[in-house]
Amino acid sequence: MELQASYIQIVALALFTIGLAVTLTRRNVFFVLMGIELALNAVNLSLIGFAKTLPAAASVAGQILPLFTIAVAAAEACVGLAMIILIFKSQESVDIDNYSNMKG
Amino acid sequence: MIPLWLIPLFPLVGTIVLAIIALSSSDSKQGPAESITGAVAVLFPILSFLSVVTLSVGMPVEGIRGTIGTWIDTAAIQVNIGFLFDGLSRVMLLFITGIGSLIAIYSVGYMHKDRSFARFFAYINLFLFSMTILVLGDSLLLTFLGWEGVGLCSYLLIGFWHTDLKNTKAGNKAFIVNRVGDVGFLLGMLCLVSIGGSALLSYDALNAWLLNALSLGSISNAMPLLSLAGLLFFFGCTGKSAQIPLLTWLPDAMAGPTPVSALIHAATMVTSGVYLLARLSNLFVLIPAVLNIVLFVGLLTAFWAAIAGLFQNDIKKVLAYSTISQLGYMFMAAGVAAFDVSIFHVFTHAFFKAALFLGAGAVIHSLTGEQDMRRMGGLLKKMPLTSLVMIFGFLAIIGFPGFAGFWSKDLILERLYVSGPMGPYVYAIALLTAVITAVYMGRLIIMTFFGKYRGSKENEAHIHEAPASMLIPMLLLSVGSAFAGFLWAGLIPGAEFFREMLAPVVGAAQSYAMLGHTAAHLSPWIFAALGTLAAIIGMLIAWYLFMRPVPEAKGGSEPQGFGASWTFAFDKLHEYVGIIPTKVVAWLLDVVVNTIIMKAQWLTGGIIEILGDGIRAFQVRKVRLQAALSFIGMALITILVLIYGGLL
Amino acid sequence: MLALIYFIILGVIAVGSALCVLLSRHPLYGALSLVVSMVSLAGIYGLLGSPFVGVVQIMVYAGAIMMLLTFVIMVLNGARDSKTPMFDKVSLFVFPAILLLAALLGFALISTPLAFNAETLRGSVALTSETLFNTNNKGPGYFLLFEVIGLLLLSAMIAAVLLAKKNLGSKETEEITEVH
Repeated sequence: MELQASYIQIVALALFTIGLAVTLTRRNVFFVLMGIELALNAVNLSLIGFAKTLPAAASVAGQILPLFTIAVAAAEACVGLAMIILIFKSQESVDIDNYSNMKG
Repeated sequence: MIPLWLIPLFPLVGTIVLAIIALSSSDSKQGPAESITGAVAVLFPILSFLSVVTLSVGMPVEGIRGTIGTWIDTAAIQVNIGFLFDGLSRVMLLFITGIGSLIAIYSVGYMHKDRSFARFFAYINLFLFSMTILVLGDSLLLTFLGWEGVGLCSYLLIGFWHTDLKNTKAGNKAFIVNRVGDVGFLLGMLCLVSIGGSALLSYDALNAWLLNALSLGSISNAMPLLSLAGLLFFFGCTGKSAQIPLLTWLPDAMAGPTPVSALIHAATMVTSGVYLLARLSNLFVLIPAVLNIVLFVGLLTAFWAAIAGLFQNDIKKVLAYSTISQLGYMFMAAGVAAFDVSIFHVFTHAFFKAALFLGAGAVIHSLTGEQDMRRMGGLLKKMPLTSLVMIFGFLAIIGFPGFAGFWSKDLILERLYVSGPMGPYVYAIALLTAVITAVYMGRLIIMTFFGKYRGSKENEAHIHEAPASMLIPMLLLSVGSAFAGFLWAGLIPGAEFFREMLAPVVGAAQSYAMLGHTAAHLSPWIFAALGTLAAIIGMLIAWYLFMRPVPEAKGGSEPQGFGASWTFAFDKLHEYVGIIPTKVVAWLLDVVVNTIIMKAQWLTGGIIEILGDGIRAFQVRKVRLQAALSFIGMALITILVLIYGGLL
Repeated sequence: MLALIYFIILGVIAVGSALCVLLSRHPLYGALSLVVSMVSLAGIYGLLGSPFVGVVQIMVYAGAIMMLLTFVIMVLNGARDSKTPMFDKVSLFVFPAILLLAALLGFALISTPLAFNAETLRGSVALTSETLFNTNNKGPGYFLLFEVIGLLLLSAMIAAVLLAKKNLGSKETEEITEVH
């Protein structure tokens, strides 16, 4: 038994699914944010896993792209938390169902 | 050697400075200080004139060329900004900047105490800039830039006193009619581009290409397109130079200030059509059919406008129709491939017509805006110097021996006679037109300066000679209209300076056109004698017809009866050919847009609104649930992909 | 063989702590579980030959981002309305949808042949820096992306400052300052 390339993808898929579930089912806004981070991590893992299946020149992209993903995630967390603070000030709640202003 | 771009640069700088002055003083009640503004306004045209003179003195025979950069650089079109200073542009520039400077000086006196003093001179400088670009450009595209620029300035200056609706309408008319002609110019350029690419837009390249094609014998392939191009360029010229059919704007253009009429609508801008014909002489001599059209249109215009001039009561309108008529002479000359003679007539005409207009301006100025000749008369004693200027201009335009118009008109008539089998008939009509010219110009002089004063009492009290700033340019121009003709006096052996000057530009074309013609051997003295006779007969008719009391003026200065229907014949034609069909199409489009398309829009909008109201009932309120539903959608798409990807 | 064992250990930790995030009631516990998950992911990166990404993962993700999140949770007292049910009726729709999607993707993954490539380069610091800062005209051009990311971070910072600030210039602020 050796480590197979598809194992990595399966772990990544599991993590992504859990991240998605956290984002969509939990009503606490911090969990929503954490779910997004988890999903991003899963994508990073997937990228690195796929990079391992490519020949030398092509695989470099898989090593570089996670760095950018991490940077974007940092920016996203930064803005997201600022928005949470802003909304929290007016709503006094961390329940996203209370945030919903999209009622038709 | 000073660079060529200085010539247009000076008026451009003048425009900018004057525009700044005009804008910065727009809030003050007084307006800018006239001394400073006037000095700036006169300085830059004079500087430009001086640079032209400096360049003219040392010009080599083949001309000076200068490129200052790339203008358009695309795959389809490459055009440089280049200037070409040769015999033709030298002549044009000399009188454009020279007369432009004189008229700028004159305007300082004429526009005295006008609130928009600085704006006026900004426009004048902008006009001189555009006109120098038009004449200096070494490619058709640059000439077109100047062509549009002078059209714009013409529009701005005709409607200069824009608080009067009549002036604004006249400006619009001039602009729109000119646009119709400009379409011809643009399409002509496109024809040339489709023949040989954008390189042919440059005059030098066009001439070289034509010469090459002629020697290879391959010219006949391009002949249909070349003829079309020539016809379209000529159509453009009819717009700018007020020839049939696009001539109705010029009489209306007299709504502008008189110096503008003198500079733009008599001396310079309207002759740019003749300039273009001469510049493209190598093209036009290859298409004799188009040249015949030019000849015919010129003849018709000259004759029609001369008769229309007989019926006008407005002093400036008479001069406007005489301008159209003289432009007809120039086109006639170009039509028989006598381009040097037509440019020579442009040159002399610039002097005497500017003198006439400036004299008329002085008369109008001293009568505080009265333009109806029926309310003038007897001004000879009150304004002797102005009368002298006007009479000099009069003698020049009717071709009195020795004056400028005599030499140029005589040459045109002579070339018409020897041009071919049709020559004598054309000559006869042109000579008849010369008689009519003498009649209507004699009428103008008699009604204005002879007889008794017929105007209002309050105007009579302060009739005065114009101030020095107006008189000096007038006197200089009258000297020009007396002696400018000696630059090419056909009767005096050796006095052919003008022809030699233009020979490098149009000489080859003219000798090509003359191939196969046997020049008739008639003594030039016969033509001169016939021309003089025409002038004298015309003067005598005018003396007999108009040296009598004039009936009291009633109503406006518009001609009545037959005169009106003759004068406005082409306005009516435009109305039936251009305006009414356009209005019908516009009405139809209005119906289509307003009723049919609008109804369709309302219907579509209504349907969507009802649908939207229905669908709103299904909308899910929770964002999370919406996301979940969209994931189900994504899953469905994944299934589709798996099926068609061959995995299921 | 050894790699597989390590991978299984790290993967189980990562997935398990991710499940802890899903099932924990208090956001602080969730955040700490998430840190564990990320650290183990960093281990997997190292195992797969990308040590640089792994280190960045620990420093930026587990370090900076999660610390910031934890800090905000504590500041806002995120457990304030933890009495709300963890899962509600919406979850009944959400779980099947996600599981359906995951099943389909997993099926697609399994039925696609994937194999490690022997030539793959190790994602070392040297390789990363050479690729990232290759300003050669014919190079990959990542340096441009790098600059853009810098701009993005800057704008995110400014946006965060502006959002989280007391709304300056509004009437309420002025009234408050007057009162004080």
